Amino acid sequence: MEVDSQEQLQRKQSTYLSLDENFEIQKEVYRGQQYSQIYFARLHMMRTLLYSLVPNWKSHLPVCTVLELEEGKECIIVGTLYKHMKLKPCILDEYSKERSVAPLIKPHNFMHQDDYLVLEDESGRVKLGGTKLSPSVYVTGVVVALHGKETSAGAFFVEDVLEAGLPPQIKRPLKSREDKYVVFVSGLSIGRSSSNPLQFQLLVDHITGHLGDEEEQGLAAEIVHLVIVGNSVEISRGLLNGQNLASKDQSRLSEPFKELDILLTQVFSSHHCDDQHFKIAASLPLDIMPGSSDPANFALPQQPLNRCLFPGSTTYNTFRSCANPHCFELDSIRFLGTSGQNIDDLTKYSEAKDKLDFLERTLRWRHLAPTAPNTLGCYPFTDRDPFLIDSCPDVYFVGNQEKYETCLLKGLEGQLVRLICIPRFCETGVAVVSKSCPGVSSIQIYPSTRVNKGEKEKRNGKEGEVWIDTIEVAFWLHAFLLVPYSVLAYKNKFL
Amino acid sequence: MATTSKNMNVFYRQKKKSTTSTEKKSTKSPSTKHSATFGSDITQPPALVSHGGSLDLKDDFDEQEQALRQFDMNMAYGPCVGITRLDRWERAQRMGLNPPKEIESLLKGGKVKLESLFDGRV
Repeated sequence: MEVDSQEQLQRKQSTYLSLDENFEIQKEVYRGQQYSQIYFARLHMMRTLLYSLVPNWKSHLPVCTVLELEEGKECIIVGTLYKHMKLKPCILDEYSKERSVAPLIKPHNFMHQDDYLVLEDESGRVKLGGTKLSPSVYVTGVVVALHGKETSAGAFFVEDVLEAGLPPQIKRPLKSREDKYVVFVSGLSIGRSSSNPLQFQLLVDHITGHLGDEEEQGLAAEIVHLVIVGNSVEISRGLLNGQNLASKDQSRLSEPFKELDILLTQVFSSHHCDDQHFKIAASLPLDIMPGSSDPANFALPQQPLNRCLFPGSTTYNTFRSCANPHCFELDSIRFLGTSGQNIDDLTKYSEAKDKLDFLERTLRWRHLAPTAPNTLGCYPFTDRDPFLIDSCPDVYFVGNQEKYETCLLKGLEGQLVRLICIPRFCETGVAVVSKSCPGVSSIQIYPSTRVNKGEKEKRNGKEGEVWIDTIEVAFWLHAFLLVPYSVLAYKNKFL
Repeated sequence: MATTSKNMNVFYRQKKKSTTSTEKKSTKSPSTKHSATFGSDITQPPALVSHGGSLDLKDDFDEQEQALRQFDMNMAYGPCVGITRLDRWERAQRMGLNPPKEIESLLKGGKVKLESLFDGRV
């Protein structure tokens, strides 16, 4: 058999910097504090910021607190919004003496046309009127500046709104022009009865370079990082109902983790097979974030998954268990994202035309999860609000959404952010690959069906005869299984 | 939140009616101080008989405590419930709110209550 000595491809490297210290709660001590502390921290930080922006917006108007409002006096007030929602589930409804027939509550959205907004600061609160501020857009917890005047009814008639806007972005120095890729995948849901383990296996094989010929492996070698954005594991409900588990059920509890660990170990170990096709030397650095179905704490910020869950993978120093939300830098390009709880909560309490709209709003409000702690669980920080976004990321992602969506957001000061909605892999089989170029990262998604037979034959002509069968089998396997399930990104070489 | 007091003595601390308390605030009249009447703001009025034979000369209302209570009540520095006074002072300092330095020296130096006014009562 003619052995074609292909030289080993080196996987491209990137410098990685984790910026998750703000989301760690190991140093926090719970002293029985309530959430008023985190709201105060949020209001203070945002108000200082808004006070600095108000002179550029409307410098002629006085700024006052809610208590200093006078009827008819036009002024600017800054405070936290509170949305009074008629349909918002309240724990006290269970104890209500009048058990009237409850209106049909849509579980996915609690909006009602009678919802109204209230502005609140330390001195007081005032109901907001006027049509400029739409209750369907805003949620509780957003800090804004409002221009208007108090009416005779005691409400504040809003004439204009000032949001904080996109945070300043650090300009990245233009580095080398080589293309590097970052793969995002979320919602693996290993352990769910409907999840197909073959899908993730195929993805892992592809990005570690086990599939395809030299060109495909070359592309896979340009992937520098893999981020698993939450919900990697799903434990069946029957095991979690609080009863004592029989020993056979206990092993069922840990099966999803074992499966996940085996799959993740494959991402690292580059020498576990003698396959001569496989030539990528270095393993792929991996970040895994917890999600709503993972065994991490419920309240945001979710702490990193325990290393004991991944006995095989933690032996590799390129395996990182990260917090949710997660902020990191690769080659000084800033990535920021969550596993989806913040956007899902916004979907329940407000509306927008798509998820990217929600992402954009959170950036404009400079807060990752404005509904925390009102309707989204959150740790009661006393001295800071870690969800405030100080510096604009270059890539802003959210996981566990229904479908893949992306857009490029341009800010007023020249900020450029790539917004990405990562779909659930177990349902859609879609992973997202981001080209990590300095400044702007573009996503090229294209289905593997474009790898048509004509192209393959052209390439196979170069190889020795013995290769044709094996490559063809690999490709057909690849195409057949990937076509209905997976959609991955490539550079334009194949087109 | 659960109270942190370990013994009932703290609740039912017997206070001798102090006759030597001359340094009274001008806002408080001595007659209403030791009784649970409308004007007083103490929760447990002291008993007429002292317990244990010792005189409790220093009560809750000395000037230092009063200054600290004013610091607690000042809404510019945020809510005071659930955070110690020193932590709250340091937080205000970090946020650039310029809390008065005397409070810090009081908290770090003397035998004052480190917990806020509402500690154990809310």
